[in-house]
Amino acid sequence: MDEKKLTPQESMELITSMIQNTKRRVATPDLRISVMWAVLTIVTAIAAWALLSTTHNPLYNFIWFAIPVIGIPTNILMAQNDRNKSMTKSYLDKVSESIWKSVGYIAMGLTIGCFIAQQCGYPQAWLAMFYYAFIIVGFGAMTSGFLLRENSYVFGGLFSIFSGFAIIVCNICQIPLYYSWVVPLYILCFLLMFIVPAFIISRKIKAQEK
Amino acid sequence: MKELDPLLHSQLRLAVMSILMNVDEADFVYLKEKTDSTAGNLSVQIDKLSTAGYISVAKEFVGKKPRTVCSVTDHGRKAFEEYVNTLREYLNI
Repeated sequence: MDEKKLTPQESMELITSMIQNTKRRVATPDLRISVMWAVLTIVTAIAAWALLSTTHNPLYNFIWFAIPVIGIPTNILMAQNDRNKSMTKSYLDKVSESIWKSVGYIAMGLTIGCFIAQQCGYPQAWLAMFYYAFIIVGFGAMTSGFLLRENSYVFGGLFSIFSGFAIIVCNICQIPLYYSWVVPLYILCFLLMFIVPAFIISRKIKAQEK
Repeated sequence: MKELDPLLHSQLRLAVMSILMNVDEADFVYLKEKTDSTAGNLSVQIDKLSTAGYISVAKEFVGKKPRTVCSVTDHGRKAFEEYVNTLREYLNI
């Protein structure tokens, strides 16, 4: 392409083709990072569930720390790789990024809070991380779904939010929260919030490309 | 009939503006790929658009690599909309 002068007809065609070309990129969200977090969370939950239900050793609860310990460096590496590629950012990208950054900051703050509470003799405070995972992450997924106009995200997010409130109600009513049903519910929520929508979106993208 | 904005009525500058109208920001490499232009020519045209206040250009470093990010300004957005309206008049659409 050079600095050649255009006829009005050529100008209009050029504008249309450039907009079409960029639109395809804007409508294609990058799901790799959210899928990485979801897979890591699910694998950790399965490991914790298996180890705790077979050994009943509460020390295996430390396995939950695998989520931030593995997830944060992987996220940084993946984001750095993305920065080396040519890129554009739409308003939607920026809003979505802000939502997930907020979800991340809340997780960090809450982890510190729970750690302090544990040091003060209240280890049960870690339960707050479950509420966070169900409600705050669910809210992030639901909002992303509205932004991307992807109903599977909205459904997954809502399912997770309601599951979180159901767990709060159980806690208030002193219904015991057993690993045998809370962790599978947690896994199901992450499947519905991230894995299923990612699968649906990638199929839609493939269909569009064809 | 109104005259077409000479700054936009050029193939490469119009292509850059069309892309930037559709995204919040785009980097130099992306614009070069999409417009299929040379780095030197694209750089000159970006400077012209930037001097006219149609786009803003931010230079940053990603690791050790420099990166130029462009985004359209409000002034550029208005100029582009006016350009498209004038084009419609020319084409009777």
